[in-house]
Amino acid sequence: MTEFGLRLAISLTQIAAVMGIVVITVLILTLAERKVLGWMQDRMGPMEVGPYGILQPFADAIKLFFKEDIIPAGANKFLFTMAPILCLIPAFIGFAVIPWGPNQTFEVGGITVRPFVISDINIGILYVLAFASLGAYGIILGGWASNSKYSLLGGLRSAAQIISYELNVGLSIVGVLILGGSLSLVKITDAQAGGFWHWYVFALPAPQIFALVVYVISSVAETNRVPFDLPEAESELVAGFFTEYSGLRFAFFFLAEYANMVLVSCVAAALFLGGWNAPYPGTIMAFIGLPSLAWAENTMWFAVKTYSFLFLFFWLRATLPRLRYDQLMRFGWKVLLPIALGNIVVTALAVFFFQ
Amino acid sequence: MASTATTKRLNLHEWFKTITFYEILVGMKATLSHLLNYRPVTLQYPHEKRTLPDNYRGMLALLRYDDGTEKCVGCDLCEAACPSRVIRVVSAEVPGEPTKRYSKEYYMDMTRCLFCGMCVDACPVDALGMTREFEWAVYDKRQLHLNKQQLLAIGDRSFPVREKRLELQHPNVAFFNVAFKHVPPKPD
Repeated sequence: MTEFGLRLAISLTQIAAVMGIVVITVLILTLAERKVLGWMQDRMGPMEVGPYGILQPFADAIKLFFKEDIIPAGANKFLFTMAPILCLIPAFIGFAVIPWGPNQTFEVGGITVRPFVISDINIGILYVLAFASLGAYGIILGGWASNSKYSLLGGLRSAAQIISYELNVGLSIVGVLILGGSLSLVKITDAQAGGFWHWYVFALPAPQIFALVVYVISSVAETNRVPFDLPEAESELVAGFFTEYSGLRFAFFFLAEYANMVLVSCVAAALFLGGWNAPYPGTIMAFIGLPSLAWAENTMWFAVKTYSFLFLFFWLRATLPRLRYDQLMRFGWKVLLPIALGNIVVTALAVFFFQ
Repeated sequence: MASTATTKRLNLHEWFKTITFYEILVGMKATLSHLLNYRPVTLQYPHEKRTLPDNYRGMLALLRYDDGTEKCVGCDLCEAACPSRVIRVVSAEVPGEPTKRYSKEYYMDMTRCLFCGMCVDACPVDALGMTREFEWAVYDKRQLHLNKQQLLAIGDRSFPVREKRLELQHPNVAFFNVAFKHVPPKPD
């Protein structure tokens, strides 16, 4: 009983830490996105709350928290309430299998604790993909339950888009799975240790550079970010599936979108860019004689890779206009899907003959 | 020429541009160069204000002479010139001086004013002026119905340097001017 209690306490501590990090990252992202977009468009971004607007996320959070919560007449109340939660939980739950740092363990009261991953399940990446597609239910139900034509159109677009691009995400990572020989993100990351030429983007015999491009494009589409933001196209659909949402429920959708961004960035970093591995063999901390602090360096590298992907998201948003709907579908099915399939064939042949 | 360009098959160069997302990369380079050479065009308005042009047409005001008397002679020309019917003048004889008139009441409905400046042009005695004030947002739009005292107060705070009495400047228009009992008679 005490052992179970200890295990529970350790797990809950890890979950709370990861949730805290993700929520803080989302807070940073909301500000960083507006700032980066502003700078790229010769504006300043938020400047009023705090010095250079750095307290803007807190002001936004307080505003959303105290806003009136409106349920429109004719809305399906149960589903309207459920949809933001259905959107938020899958976005957060995927972080359970992301390895944030080196695969080391320590003992607490006879229990082995892995501090940098909540749970290393052997189908980690499948679990992430499965919950990412569950998040689409939140969007579709939110669109349907609002009893508004704009929300419904946004939800329908989202359904078609997420189904199309989910496929490309799934196929683009198959090459990595062939190279890594495992579905566990921890094992895949471990296999990429020893310098950037071992990362699966560059690794011989089959560099996954095309898979990375397909994955990034598809994940932008899957998180409904700008070149593919048709579900919330504000110039066509007011705000898409969350048109009728306000206050805390809107904040849930908002949080889910940004958490999804962080999640796909973490997965991209772990699968293609070596996760927490530094781009040189070993770590500087171990080299200068502080191997007990190597985890800090590795975690820092993971954060750098994740934030680079997040910056890429903002960069694309500042640059590209929105695609038309048929262009989106054609691009997904006629361009990305053949590339992903070809990548699987090439990788499989290369691994078969050269490894 | 255009037809040959469109019928030309996709050559290797264009194909390479397509698969490397060349045009998207050009756009991303443009946005990144703006990020690196960050020169915002934003003016942080309440904290810093732009310099107004010299001929800026702002809030309207009624003016006074240097001895504190009102310039307005109640001729109603501003009311006639106004395209939006902003101005309403109630003109009256100066008590005790039947040849001279003044505006007993003077109203401006600034909710309708389009700041064209025609009333200022129309005024024969330069009794109207356009100030450089523009921050006139109010919570109740009835606060924008201004009377004579308010317009004179705007003029007092915006035009500290006043003209001399007209009758001392130009005898032809001195006829229109107002004499008040509390004003000392002109020296002659």
